[in-house]
Amino acid sequence: MNTEAIKELLYKMADDLLIIGHRNSEWTGLGPILEEDISFSSMAQDKIGQAQALYVLLHDLGEQEPDTVAFTRNANQFHNAQLVELPNGEYDFSLMRHFLYDHADQLRFEALANSTYEPLAKVARKVKGELKYHVFHANTWVTKLGLANQESHDKMQHALNHAWNYALGLFEPSANEAALIDESIFIGENTLQEQWLQNITPVLLKAGLTIPNPSTWNPIVGGRIGIHTAHLEPLVEEMSEVFRYDPTAEW
Amino acid sequence: MYGNAYIDPNDKAAMMLAGEDPQKLAEFEARIARGEKIEPKDWMPKEYRKQLIRMIEQHGHSEIIGALPEGTWITRAPGFKRKLALMAKVQDEVGHAQLLYSAAETLGKSREAMINDLITGKSKYSNVFNYPAYTWADACIIAWLIDAGAIINQVANAKGSYGPYCRALDRICTEESFHLKYGHDNVVTLATGTPKQRELVQAALTRWWPPIMHFFGPSDKISNHTEILMKWKVKMATNDDMRQQFLNMYVPKIWDLGLTLPDPNLKKNEEGKWEYTEPDWEEFKRVINGGGPCNAERLAVRRNAEERGRWVREALNTADSKYMVPLA
Amino acid sequence: MIKSLDPRVNRAAIEEENSIEPLKDLDQWETYEVFHQKRRGDQHMHVGIVHAPNAEMALIFGKEQFGRRGLSVNIWVVKTRDVFTTDYEDSDIFETVPEKQYREAGGYKVMDKINKFKKGL
Repeated sequence: MNTEAIKELLYKMADDLLIIGHRNSEWTGLGPILEEDISFSSMAQDKIGQAQALYVLLHDLGEQEPDTVAFTRNANQFHNAQLVELPNGEYDFSLMRHFLYDHADQLRFEALANSTYEPLAKVARKVKGELKYHVFHANTWVTKLGLANQESHDKMQHALNHAWNYALGLFEPSANEAALIDESIFIGENTLQEQWLQNITPVLLKAGLTIPNPSTWNPIVGGRIGIHTAHLEPLVEEMSEVFRYDPTAEW
Repeated sequence: MYGNAYIDPNDKAAMMLAGEDPQKLAEFEARIARGEKIEPKDWMPKEYRKQLIRMIEQHGHSEIIGALPEGTWITRAPGFKRKLALMAKVQDEVGHAQLLYSAAETLGKSREAMINDLITGKSKYSNVFNYPAYTWADACIIAWLIDAGAIINQVANAKGSYGPYCRALDRICTEESFHLKYGHDNVVTLATGTPKQRELVQAALTRWWPPIMHFFGPSDKISNHTEILMKWKVKMATNDDMRQQFLNMYVPKIWDLGLTLPDPNLKKNEEGKWEYTEPDWEEFKRVINGGGPCNAERLAVRRNAEERGRWVREALNTADSKYMVPLA
Repeated sequence: MIKSLDPRVNRAAIEEENSIEPLKDLDQWETYEVFHQKRRGDQHMHVGIVHAPNAEMALIFGKEQFGRRGLSVNIWVVKTRDVFTTDYEDSDIFETVPEKQYREAGGYKVMDKINKFKKGL
């Protein structure tokens, strides 16, 4: 097994999950209606729980404790795609990001359920139900708001346009891509992106939303190698403020 | 968390029963005396309905506003365990608001009307949430001691007479037991941790003690009004009884941790009652009437949240939808 | 502008005097009654309501509000306005007279006869 390649895969997945879970948790108590507040918070918890499970796998491969990894690194040591670090904006953007990200996440874990790296396959099988709910939630919201009225349609379309190139950045290929595919650890980012497009296209169509013209596609990459927007550093500092207050302490 | 509705002491008992059908009133009171619950469509005195709406609504507001002081630390909770638990706890508060508003709705006040009364300041919520959570330790003290106070209140109210409120409280109390354990675990971790952590938790405890002593409200004036509310099982225990119960259960636990409470007169006397310095009730009134450190912020944040969500709610409203008072 | 201890509030850049239009009727949508089944084989139990704009969302909301802890395998939702109920005022219709023993198991006591019959043998 190519441990370096596995670690790289685990890091980017875990960091994506932690950061999007963190962002989505910012809505807790401030959501558009009580019932949705609760649902969105549950999914944020799921994401952070999934991140933790992956940091545990990294720890098993010799990396530091999950808390240390998550709460003491600097922004440029994170491997998440830039999509997940963007500020929440309004609910349109948060929902659209959730939709674009969760479809990719579901497919990624679905593929990994058959990974030859059994510890990850096990995690992937365990989170299947959570992801099914996340995608059901995302599809329902995006479809309903896409079709509801002109204002909501325009907002969702605008959010899609804004998020699109960042979302393509989720599939930033890595140097270890070939090794992961050869050893049947993972299907690779290209295949994942194809599947993702296949899954989201009919939903967006049903929602009356238009995927930006392929001639304008320009994946925003760099997140996987530690290049981030200006939004990540304050996020990481905020997230680890208490943890770093007394690094010797157990919290 | 957090019941303890503020009952205006100026409501006159004499007015309460004016115009009620004596036979129906007698049947209603007999039902309560038999230990039976009142259900939404039963006949009930106007004052019973009014007091319950006020109480359950205030309780609901306290949950949704109560999500804010702890929410202050939701993006900064240290470590996975704390981060996940705090998210789940604040989420529960939102869930409790949902349950309580639903119970109040069965009495005929819509959720929209309740939210409108909250954000215009017409309706109150528990006073403790008008205080800020300066540090992580403040959030821990809230989770432990404010939730502890809330449980005492809610366990009492869960034995009340109104079915939907009791059912909501049963569900809420189950979740509160997680909050209490979570809060205690946090405070114990800080108090038994590093010197910096101990300092944090002691400072937070000192800050929160006056609001905690205010939590159950001033001594009840035993008027005919409160007597009737107790007979109707709307008010289940006096404020002083609940405060005594709280002190009895939690002061020893606080002292066990070697923490100091900022009241030199606090002690249990020979009769087993707790003595304490009378809380500053002028301050309590000042804060309840808008003068606390966070009143303006709490309401402005709620208004902002309602406003930001408005387009979402409006978009999904369909022409054929029709509101009907929930059944139970 | 509110200066808060909560970084989320600071990011939202909220004016203190941000009065808003009151919420209109149905702003919070209508309600669905939620029925929850813990395990296969159990009855679905009524557990409360959710406010929702349509049935799919009522299911999405009901699942988290009433099924996020403990066991769950299934949820039903139905619009409150589609539920028909009896009145508590009429709950005396459920009172039955003792003579209805013929439809209760306890109304059939054969041992007396059997014992008598055995003795007579």
